[in-house]
Amino acid sequence: MKLLVCIKQVPDLESRFKPDATGTWFSETDLAFRMNEYDEYAVEQAVRLREQLGDSCELTVLSIGPDRVVEAIKKALAMGCDNAAHIQDNAASSKDPWQIAATIAAYAKDKGFDIIFTGMQSQDRGSAQVGVTVAELLGIACTTTIVGFACDSGTITAKRELEGGIKGVVKLKTPALVTCQLGLNVPRYPTLPNIMKAKKKEIIAIPVGDLLKEEALAITASFHPPAKKGGGIVLEGDVADLVEKVIAILKDKTAVLR
Amino acid sequence: MKTLLIGEYREGKLLESTYELLSFAAQLNADTAMLLVGSESQLPAYAGTLYLADIATCGEYNPDLHKKLILDAVQKENPDCIVFLHSSYGWDLAPRVAAALKAAQISEVIANLDGGFEVGCCNAKMRRTVKSTTARTVITIQAGAFPVLQPGGSPAVQKLTADSSGNLEFIGYEPAEKKDVDLAKAEVIVTAGRGIGKKDNVPVIQALARALGGELGASRPVVDAGWVEHSHQVGTTGQTVSPKLYIACGVSGAIQHLAGMKKSDFIIAINKDKDAPIGEVADVLVVADVMQFVPALTAKVAK
Amino acid sequence: MEATRQIYWNMGHGVVIPMYILAFAAFGVLAWGFWQRLPIWRQGKALDRFDHYDERVKRMISEVFGQAKVFRVTEGGVFHSIFFWSFLILFAGTMLVMFQADFFTPVLKVNLLSGEFYKAFSLVLDIAGILAIVMLAGLFIRRFVTRPDGLEIVRDDYIVLQLLFAILITGFLIEGARMAATELQQNPALARFSPGGLLAGQLFTTLTPGTLLVTHKILWWLHFVLVLGFFCAVPYTKLRHILTTSANAFLAPFEAKGSIATINMEDDTVEQFGTATISDLSWKDIFDADACTSCKRCQERCPAYTTDKPLSPMKLIKQIGELAEGNPTGSLSETISQDAIWACTTCRACQDICPANIEHVNKILEMRRNLTLMEGAFPGDEVKTAVNNIEVNGNPFGLAFAARGDWAEGLQISVMEQDSDVDILYFVGCYASFDKRNQAIARNFITICNAAGVKVGILGKEEKCCGEPVRKLGNEYLYQMTAAENIELIKTYNVRKIVTTCPHCFNTLARDYKDLGLDIPVEHYTTYINTLLENNKLNLTPETFRYTYHDSCYLGRYMDIIEQPRSILTRAGGSITEMDKSGYDSFCCSAGGGRIIAEEKLGSKISEARIKMATDTGAPLLVSNCPFCMTMFEDGIKTGGAEDVLRVRDLAEIVAERIVA
Repeated sequence: MKLLVCIKQVPDLESRFKPDATGTWFSETDLAFRMNEYDEYAVEQAVRLREQLGDSCELTVLSIGPDRVVEAIKKALAMGCDNAAHIQDNAASSKDPWQIAATIAAYAKDKGFDIIFTGMQSQDRGSAQVGVTVAELLGIACTTTIVGFACDSGTITAKRELEGGIKGVVKLKTPALVTCQLGLNVPRYPTLPNIMKAKKKEIIAIPVGDLLKEEALAITASFHPPAKKGGGIVLEGDVADLVEKVIAILKDKTAVLR
Repeated sequence: MKTLLIGEYREGKLLESTYELLSFAAQLNADTAMLLVGSESQLPAYAGTLYLADIATCGEYNPDLHKKLILDAVQKENPDCIVFLHSSYGWDLAPRVAAALKAAQISEVIANLDGGFEVGCCNAKMRRTVKSTTARTVITIQAGAFPVLQPGGSPAVQKLTADSSGNLEFIGYEPAEKKDVDLAKAEVIVTAGRGIGKKDNVPVIQALARALGGELGASRPVVDAGWVEHSHQVGTTGQTVSPKLYIACGVSGAIQHLAGMKKSDFIIAINKDKDAPIGEVADVLVVADVMQFVPALTAKVAK
Repeated sequence: MEATRQIYWNMGHGVVIPMYILAFAAFGVLAWGFWQRLPIWRQGKALDRFDHYDERVKRMISEVFGQAKVFRVTEGGVFHSIFFWSFLILFAGTMLVMFQADFFTPVLKVNLLSGEFYKAFSLVLDIAGILAIVMLAGLFIRRFVTRPDGLEIVRDDYIVLQLLFAILITGFLIEGARMAATELQQNPALARFSPGGLLAGQLFTTLTPGTLLVTHKILWWLHFVLVLGFFCAVPYTKLRHILTTSANAFLAPFEAKGSIATINMEDDTVEQFGTATISDLSWKDIFDADACTSCKRCQERCPAYTTDKPLSPMKLIKQIGELAEGNPTGSLSETISQDAIWACTTCRACQDICPANIEHVNKILEMRRNLTLMEGAFPGDEVKTAVNNIEVNGNPFGLAFAARGDWAEGLQISVMEQDSDVDILYFVGCYASFDKRNQAIARNFITICNAAGVKVGILGKEEKCCGEPVRKLGNEYLYQMTAAENIELIKTYNVRKIVTTCPHCFNTLARDYKDLGLDIPVEHYTTYINTLLENNKLNLTPETFRYTYHDSCYLGRYMDIIEQPRSILTRAGGSITEMDKSGYDSFCCSAGGGRIIAEEKLGSKISEARIKMATDTGAPLLVSNCPFCMTMFEDGIKTGGAEDVLRVRDLAEIVAERIVA
């Protein structure tokens, strides 16, 4: 069985974001990068399946981006992926989800992957499109936001997380793609021997131009902070007045009171 | 401008959030048609075209079949925008439709702007304005970002059917696990800190949480003191949370606590001390006695 | 009449041959017993504990014969030490008799044991014998009657105490029997120099001379057999500590306290990191189990044990011994339990008090290394998050690394990136950088430096966690990664001295970073301020206050900085009321050993226990010197309900308030 897991390296969300020179994405100065959280669930699930199936199975990790993404790839290798593809693209952040999906699909097209794992969305862009679009481009079955996964002789049983904690149970025939959600598993912390082994695993570098032939369908016109939501105001005075003010703020700034 | 709105059924019921699509379309001043995989017994109160596929034969979750139904309706309606809710149904289905049409998709829209659609990014810390370059655009809108709009009336129903290629089979629903509390997924958290004074005051905070449809949180000292169970603890030694609304009652804001809740979308802190560290992360700091302010707020919210 | 006695009286010189044969046989049993332990110890890895040979010998002699470590705890210690010295005198006396009989008399033809010397000899030995009996009685009552908490009774206790009693009593009985037949009749004046024998002799005065001689012979052999039994019992009972504990005084480490082996991360032939089974321990670690006397001093000082957590340093050492003997391939973490292994705060109270020089802390750290590096285990999910945060943002809170230097905005301070020509580099640490309470302390430290005309630099956003918490949790890999980045960075600036306000950073930079190539003097701010005061670079206006002082583990026990902070506080006008546990006997705040990033789920709160000790002094102020302690105490005061009676402040805050402008 051949497995693929697609990961993205994203900035830590505690970072302070500032627009870059183009004004359409963030400047990378002072940002700390890590593996997209949802992709960690994807890697963990893929590695568990890889372990379940043993040596008859091969697990590839793929990431698109500049050289820094190799750090995220190394982490996935240390968690248990067998080999890696680094699709080199210094301008990955300017690509729209369609282009990213097209790149992955072009890579995966002839490789015969039985199951592809992705995160349900990236933490920075959050479009939640790439996984499903890859499946559509490859013409394979797909389900999203899974919090439960089992695979038995070519049939996947997945549990989708729906609103309010309800779960939808779905069966898919391989080849298939699943997008992974918080709650699916607890990603492992790589052990030191595996970190050492990962250093020797092969990372194949592929220039993005070899794979991507599509133009963007959506373009980002601007990247900016949200309009001030009255942040950091201090209210003092009579309790009754304070209550009125807070109710007004709740109605105005949150979706909680209507 | 013409929109095709994709409504939603879950567990045999029309979801009220379907009406949020209507207010989004209204903001665009667009002509609307709606598509719904549902049943005639429960139709949306809206006077317009409704493409209806029977939920009994098409299923609640059958993305491939639902995609075909939508493509069919797209052909009939020729809309500029196909609009979904950004829900477990919408985010699953929208990219399939977009890919089939090779249309741009803009996810989780929170506002319409002149220059494009406004979407959140970087965990709602930042915004992007996104434009489509294709003739048709697939859009998902953020739940709650647009108000519910119930125009009334009855739709003009046109029935649709399609066949499924069947590479996916929906087995059924599993009910939500009955957990004591799951703060990580709560949309509203009202947290009790040492400032509430004593264990007997916990129900006062709990009442506000309930009135807002949220969960009770607690700071570490409150949990340590045995006033509230550990499953409610917010902070690096408890749970890291990011609700839409976080109300900190009498929480001074130790670093462990701040690190566990500062990702919340909107933070209101109630504290006697104007200089309490919680003020640094709060959007609103209410300088007041917690035990006076909270019951008054609860009473008002409950109305 | 000459003051002496006839050696082998009534026994005749003929006993010498069987006596020596039997004695050698007994020593043979003793040697055989230890010989059999050798393969058990040898299961461990090689470790050189024979360097610094002369110093080791000196240390062993002074510790064994001086008994200072045993004496440090009066309860039990006094009985043991006096018993030890008395028994030693008896042993030396017996040796002297042996030399007299079989060497001085036959070869040199002199009699040492005569005249005034004999009188003194006789008196000293008798007093020693009486003292030994009294002390043994004390130990007996302690073990079986008063029995302090945690003191166990095992088979060995019955054997050893009875055997020693029997030896001492039969010793006096032989003397008594001999004296009844000789001195009491012939030289009563001399008999007064043997008060024990004089007393015992009264038992035999009614016997006929013939019966007396037979009784004496029987007693002599009985005493002799008991003594042989004593030697034979050494390797098989607790008595083994006579040799093993003494040996441990020789084998104890010579490195700076708190030194941890730095793993070579470049060596990819290593397949096991940390300690999973007995064979991953060093031979000394296994030997330690044989050196343990179960005195339970470690256990009663352990902050984890005394707050009902599943860790007892004593039990842990015993469990290692049991595994080494019975199941060497068994899993240490399963036998000892992960909860116990994670419960340690590495406060070093156990190791500091141990009279047998057992090294508890590093054994636990090596077991943690196995759990962390080999199994990816954590004491809790919150720790995993914090560790990930350190990996990504260089601080356990997960706050943006770029905000690390924000606290210093507007202060008179250089960021090294811009201006590295400074007197000291202040390594701020995570808590003082990000936590509001501790930021105040950092600012006060800057105020102090400014007043003393010291130009301070900080690394700002370039600084990362020193790596101490993750290292103590066993994650040597992440520690070395973050440490290497800090070291490389510090080396790019021409740093003359580093000062920290955190004892954990202090220990790590001053000692642990040396192994990774940082060799710049590092000081904790308490000693740094003390020097400024002593050199009149800084002057204080004393303002009286009452306080109690908490010796943080990593400043006191680890770095021996105990007097300087108190001296600063005295200059500031403070009058101290010490807690029961202070100085080297200080009690942990709960945050050491990486526990600062872990939740205290088991037992009661260590911080509350410490706060209780502070409030018991009646002082309204607790002075701390460590951001971890500060954080724990601020919590402990709230949860322990001491808000109205106690405040915790840092030493820097008190000093800064009293600076002469």
